Amino acid sequence: MSSDTVISIKNVKRCYRMGGEQVWALDGVDLDIQRGEYISIMGPSGSGKSTLFNMIGGLDLPSEGEVTIDGAFLTKMNQKQLAYIRCRKIGYIFQTFNLIEVMSALENVMLPIIFSGASDEEAKSKAIGILDKVGLSGRYDHRPSQLSGGQQQRVAVARALANTPAILLADEPTGNLDLKTGEDLIRTLQKLKDDLGVTVITATHDNKMLAASDRVIYLEAGKIIDIKTKEHLSFSFGKIG
Amino acid sequence: MKTENEIMEIESLPLGKIISITCKGIKIRIWRSLIVVSGIVLAIAFLSYILCSDGFAQNVSKAAGSIVEQGSPEKIQELKDQRVQTYWMVGLAILISFVGIVNAMLMSVTERFREIGTMKCLGAIDSFVLKMFLIESVIEGVIGALLGVLAGILIAYVEGVFTYGSGVWSLLPLAWLLGVVAFSFVTGVIITVVAALYPAREASKMMPVVALRAEL
Repeated sequence: MSSDTVISIKNVKRCYRMGGEQVWALDGVDLDIQRGEYISIMGPSGSGKSTLFNMIGGLDLPSEGEVTIDGAFLTKMNQKQLAYIRCRKIGYIFQTFNLIEVMSALENVMLPIIFSGASDEEAKSKAIGILDKVGLSGRYDHRPSQLSGGQQQRVAVARALANTPAILLADEPTGNLDLKTGEDLIRTLQKLKDDLGVTVITATHDNKMLAASDRVIYLEAGKIIDIKTKEHLSFSFGKIG
Repeated sequence: MKTENEIMEIESLPLGKIISITCKGIKIRIWRSLIVVSGIVLAIAFLSYILCSDGFAQNVSKAAGSIVEQGSPEKIQELKDQRVQTYWMVGLAILISFVGIVNAMLMSVTERFREIGTMKCLGAIDSFVLKMFLIESVIEGVIGALLGVLAGILIAYVEGVFTYGSGVWSLLPLAWLLGVVAFSFVTGVIITVVAALYPAREASKMMPVVALRAEL
């Protein structure tokens, strides 16, 4: 494991019970992710990409194998340590945005800052700053239902960035967006990676997202079947295009 | 490589902050909260109504007992049967309260699984989720039980006026009435909190991904 590995996945398996049957959503995955990398996880639905995404983010724990973030074993953490990682180290962006419907845009962004232990005033001024940055000034008090899909996703991005995480996890972030807002989002993610050195990991089957990636992980039936680096990607794109 | 001890833990939020977050939630979801409260009101109104009417009946028969000299064995048996019937009614009232309130609390927790999952992704710890729902249930339980007791006693007295005439006002000793109020109120609050405890505990322990996946 190199010193700049931020996430390391070792022989991770995840088993679900469906009826009486065991289904291996992940069947032995090994992957090291470097700090500041932009990774896309590709694969058909049911390939295990969401499961892998959940493992990396500490949203679910593996049945077998190890996941480490900055060298710390997720599987050995207590719930308060996991909460710390989720709050401070990782920002999550979901396909369905997962904004809290009863809270305003501002309150949604404030929430992780408050969980991190900041005062209300501190959280408020920080959240306003981030919302301004993603172009939502003047929409602080809007509820998610009063915002367009693109705006909701920007609130979600602002919320993910609230505690300046080192890792940004995005599960099908463009899945519910039109072409243009989707492209805007990809540019935003890429800019975060370039400017702040944020490690970006996305699960996607949107081909647009591949161009921004440093590496693309192809997943099928719970196993990594191929890993392509940027150079290789642009080569094959050249051939197709 | 870091050891476990070096990994930071998230601090619990102070109780005051959790209360203020909970109250904000109740206010925003005011209609949903009112439906839960009205379930508690109905259940506890029924309970206090039964207790209160039973009080009337007992005190009337006591008064009658002192006037109509020592009752015949048949009369005593009849009174005993009445008591048994009342115990059944009170038991039934508590059961109905329990089922009604459990249902209301179960719904109000399960319909928020996604929200719980999202909060856990943002750094909420188990005890935060648990406290949030318990505080909410205490608030709803206190308001619902209070209104329920008042409504139940009011209905019992209105009905009592028709059954016993204006003498009903002096029928129950104050201590008896206070006993009914206290018993119904405490029962209401306890049932509400206990009903919230189980789903809230389950919800608080869920991995975020399970809570997010929950379909309703």
